Amino acid sequence: MTFFQAFLLALFGWMGSIYSPVLIGGLAGWYTIGRPLVSGMIIGLILGDVQTGIIMGAAIQMLYIGLVTPGGTMPADVNFAAWIGIPLAMVAGAGKEYALALAVPLSTLGVLAVYGLCAINLFFVHKQDELVDAGKLDQAARIPVIGQITNFVLRFFPILLINYFGADLISQLVAMMPTQVTDILQIFANMLPLVGFMLLMRMICKTDLELILFCVGFVLVKSLGLDMISIVVLALCIAYMQYKSTAAPVSESEE
Amino acid sequence: MSEAKNIEQEIEDSTEMGGAKHLSQKAIRKAYWDWMFWNLSVQNFERMQGPAIIKMLGDIREDLYPGDKEAQQEMLQRHEVFFNTEPYLGSIVPGIVVGMEAARAEGNEDITPEFINAIKTALMGPFAGIGDSLLPGTLIPILLSIALGMCPNGELTGPIFYIVVFLAIMLPLTWFLFSYGVKAGANAAEKILSGGIKDKVTRAAETIGLVVVGAITASYAQFNIGWTYTSGDLSINLGTILNSIMPGLPVLILSFITYWLMVKKNWSAGKTMLLFLVIAIVGYFCGILTVSAA
Repeated sequence: MTFFQAFLLALFGWMGSIYSPVLIGGLAGWYTIGRPLVSGMIIGLILGDVQTGIIMGAAIQMLYIGLVTPGGTMPADVNFAAWIGIPLAMVAGAGKEYALALAVPLSTLGVLAVYGLCAINLFFVHKQDELVDAGKLDQAARIPVIGQITNFVLRFFPILLINYFGADLISQLVAMMPTQVTDILQIFANMLPLVGFMLLMRMICKTDLELILFCVGFVLVKSLGLDMISIVVLALCIAYMQYKSTAAPVSESEE
Repeated sequence: MSEAKNIEQEIEDSTEMGGAKHLSQKAIRKAYWDWMFWNLSVQNFERMQGPAIIKMLGDIREDLYPGDKEAQQEMLQRHEVFFNTEPYLGSIVPGIVVGMEAARAEGNEDITPEFINAIKTALMGPFAGIGDSLLPGTLIPILLSIALGMCPNGELTGPIFYIVVFLAIMLPLTWFLFSYGVKAGANAAEKILSGGIKDKVTRAAETIGLVVVGAITASYAQFNIGWTYTSGDLSINLGTILNSIMPGLPVLILSFITYWLMVKKNWSAGKTMLLFLVIAIVGYFCGILTVSAA
């Protein structure tokens, strides 16, 4: 990996981190290029292999697809997992199972960065109070701009340094791995999407009977080989019928 | 049509609950972008998004109190408090804050500083809950699931689909919520929170989500059984038998087991991953599991 590539990874990694403001806050940042699937595409563009980038991004995306980060608590951090895990696995020429194996410890490192940031930024909060009380309102309003420095330092430099200096190390490690380890990791990685999907099911599956809908989707792909857009059309149709059947009696009773 | 008229009427009636009457569209837009960009920039343990509220009001203070530095300072001082909500679907709350501050600046005596902070604090929790469950809990994973289903071999269509659809939904929606909050003041929240439409739309989204998650489970998860029974010339592969009963049956069974563990028994992701790792190691060395289908 060249220094310039590591620099670009760090720059985009920072822009896609949860507290970065530059891409309309979280809208085009955290919730767009910060989603591992999209991160994977950008990483692929930077490293010159978009297809592999997307495949690896998709693998990490599945694991964290049901991730919700309610105010201040951070169960896992996809930022380092994606922006360090994917590039290192890619330059080592390894499969997505290595990106996943790297993602889990990197996610813990990312959680530490979040908590560190929330503590350091207390300085800026009190600075802002002082400025407002002293009547320096312009400067007070600029605090969120200046205070972004914490997030920049905690995201840009780890991604830059670990990618730049870690690439050779990871390549050597992967080359040393016996085939058994790679095989086991691959079997493991093949099952992992279920963890992410079931975390999501916790939120969207209200009764056990609704697993029928899950099975419908499963059968449409496995037995009928349908593409995603066709499946969404069918799902929309089911949702519409359901909407109609629940909406009709309500509106009648209101009239 | 009638819905739009209702909202218009609502805004007309909203003087008492504080909505901006004369605040310029330009100032509302400035406040909106301010909030969108900077809401989490100095996230911290003590005030969370509080500093972003101060920045937002600080940047439109000349529109609210032209030239009156004392009033401006007073306004910012009363927002030196904790604030935390889901920043995007919850953008209606900072919108309401701007609306109420504008109403106060326009001379509405009913809108006291205490009232503004009470409304702000009362609304941030419900909207954090609604926002988290609808945005990262429903809309984003469902769009991502569809996108994942479009790129099993690393096709560009998947991520591009997600980027375009997500932003096409969210940019107009957040602007609508924020500016509605500004114009209708505290009434806006009541309208949104009491409407039954949210539940119906969520229900429909969840139905789509369930079908789509089933579909991507079929395209991405694999559980290949390699165990083969051999007796003389006869050799029977268990995986092949299960798959001939129904394509992908082993993965489907594993999905149900994972569902039972994680959804019914509330196993954490880490614990389930550990179980999977043990299954992978044991299954591999016993020759039950293989990397790819036989």
